[in-house]
Amino acid sequence: MWHYEKKLQYPAKVGKADLKMAKYLITQYGGPDGELGAALRYLNQRYTMPTGQSKGVLNDIGTEELAHLEIIATLVYQLTKDACVDELKAVDLGGHYADHDRALFYVDATGNPWTAAYIQAKGDPVADLHEDMAAEEKARATYQWLIDLTDDPDLKDTLNFLRVREIVHFQRFGETLDLIQEFQNSKHVF
Amino acid sequence: MHSTQLKMLNDLQALEFTTFDFHLYLDTHPNDQRALAEYARAHCEAERVKDMYTASFGPLTAEDSINQPCWRWIEEPWPWEINY
Amino acid sequence: MEAATQMCMRLAQAYVPFQIFTNRWDPMKALMMGTVFPELYRPYHSKKC
Repeated sequence: MWHYEKKLQYPAKVGKADLKMAKYLITQYGGPDGELGAALRYLNQRYTMPTGQSKGVLNDIGTEELAHLEIIATLVYQLTKDACVDELKAVDLGGHYADHDRALFYVDATGNPWTAAYIQAKGDPVADLHEDMAAEEKARATYQWLIDLTDDPDLKDTLNFLRVREIVHFQRFGETLDLIQEFQNSKHVF
Repeated sequence: MHSTQLKMLNDLQALEFTTFDFHLYLDTHPNDQRALAEYARAHCEAERVKDMYTASFGPLTAEDSINQPCWRWIEEPWPWEINY
Repeated sequence: MEAATQMCMRLAQAYVPFQIFTNRWDPMKALMMGTVFPELYRPYHSKKC
């Protein structure tokens, strides 16, 4: 079960009201390579992993992704909370406002809702870990594009933190893949 | 939020983050004695700072709301509202 | 990867080398950089046109 600590993992801040960034950042909230997908993918895959070690890694990285989801939400919340309706319309967030006011929602950058079609659980640990490693690389790349999209140094810092976490996750999934393959080979599983 | 509180919160973030990065390392290196020791050290230090923070500014977990005159868990600001 | 495994790498199988913990950053630097392990850090050089 989960335990909540009333504290962000990283001191996420936005330096200036770059409202357009809110529209791009939302993809890491509810988009195909975003933190919600990551959390749900790993937490769902963990049930059928074959070793304690793999269950541990999927559990722990899945849990960390929920903390990252909270950081993305914080960035979007901080960017939009004081924006007036005209400002939202000016950056093409009028549609979002009509559906949600300033509430966040699990959508991608063009407003498509999050879907379980963004994730997979093949049940084959090697296939699932490859999906997880690919997901981490896609998330890392997305953070790089988001860093390119903003001039706000505070926002860049937070995005870079999240980017480096994806590299670390890739490393841990890679190590887990190695351990799983060793485990399977020792059991002569094909 | 006052700068003293922000500074202590930031110290705690740094210590808990360090603990967690060692935690993930240990998930794939469960027998690394040096990492186990680093984890224990970071965790201890984080707990110490968390207790100090709780005593000065209020609870960061529901359980730390005990021994208070009221249920301080629901106090604001919540994490996404803090201006760092 | 672990030394034993290195000797018998199989075809049609992917390998990521195992990290061996050597150095670490202090907690505040670790938080700023995104990891406590300098060897895992990779900077991003923003490509604007």
